[in-house]
Amino acid sequence: MSQPEDFTSLQKLLQLKKLETPGQQYFDRFVDAFHQYQRQEILREQPWYAKLVEVLFEPWVAGIPRLATVGAAAACLMAGIALMFGPIGATSVQLADGKVSHARGVIVASNQKDDSAQIQPELIDTAAGGEVTEIRPLYVNGHGAVAYDSQLAF
Amino acid sequence: MSADATKELDLENGPTDEELVADTLKGNLASYDELIRRFQARLYGVIYHLTSNHDDTNDMLMEVFDKAYRSLPTFRGQSSFYTWIYRIAINRTFNFLDKRKRRQGAMSLNEIDEDGLPKFDLPDPIQRNNPSKSSMLNELQNKLNESMLQLSKEHRTVVTLFDIQGLAHAEIAKIMGCTEGTVRSRLHYAHKQLQKSLGIYLRR
Repeated sequence: MSQPEDFTSLQKLLQLKKLETPGQQYFDRFVDAFHQYQRQEILREQPWYAKLVEVLFEPWVAGIPRLATVGAAAACLMAGIALMFGPIGATSVQLADGKVSHARGVIVASNQKDDSAQIQPELIDTAAGGEVTEIRPLYVNGHGAVAYDSQLAF
Repeated sequence: MSADATKELDLENGPTDEELVADTLKGNLASYDELIRRFQARLYGVIYHLTSNHDDTNDMLMEVFDKAYRSLPTFRGQSSFYTWIYRIAINRTFNFLDKRKRRQGAMSLNEIDEDGLPKFDLPDPIQRNNPSKSSMLNELQNKLNESMLQLSKEHRTVVTLFDIQGLAHAEIAKIMGCTEGTVRSRLHYAHKQLQKSLGIYLRR
């Protein structure tokens, strides 16, 4: 059975580090030295980009979020909202004669003779090119849907 | 005590740190000097035990007090001033250590102070009357610093704050922005590593 670890001797040894001090004289002079340091800092000109780098890249200073963190957080929020809600507006609108207009500018119609034929939503999206942004006429054979580019003049 | 009396600095009992901050923000710069006097030794200790170099510690200490001064308007009193300034000191020192590591690679023993300071601030009689004891202590100090430098900066910090400065786990957790559990586990790991490294010095 292993014994619980005892760090008492180590901790006593570490107390010796309290003796590492620059001496009282250093601390007696420190406030004056600090005043001198501050005056020198005021006189020292920083390159114009130093403050910009500090503002942009030091993420968190004394509890205040910096520009980079705020900007990044805002960008992530916008991206999240965009992904959640998708493209704004309806993707398709019902037109007369059973045709459907898709947001990508194509008109999808059924070539079924049966007037009651409904054009399936997935066929509308397929005809409109799905995720592909290029608009071109698509013919979805075998399923009764055809697509026309509404920008073309008939 | 009347409300008016409490607004003025209580010079008999000594103003609190937060009162000195408020007074500094009103334009009384002597109050900030008092804050420096209150914290200079403790912050020196924290920074020195992380860097093991007096010149670097002196530079960092100036930077920390300067940064704290400039950031005073943002101090909202959600934590104590003590925690707030310690956090500034540790974050600044961490940044400095990362830059130093990138510049120089692994820390070499040459970086540790070899002169400029009394190694251990021993009373003169010990140094005069027992030079071999003084020499042994110097050797021990070097070994201690070498072992500390082998720890990561996070582990070195918990050892400094707990074992050397005597802070409680909860205080350390607030300063380092982690849980008490993390503080305890880092401390345990650091103790194990130091015990392994300092083995022969710990034998009775």
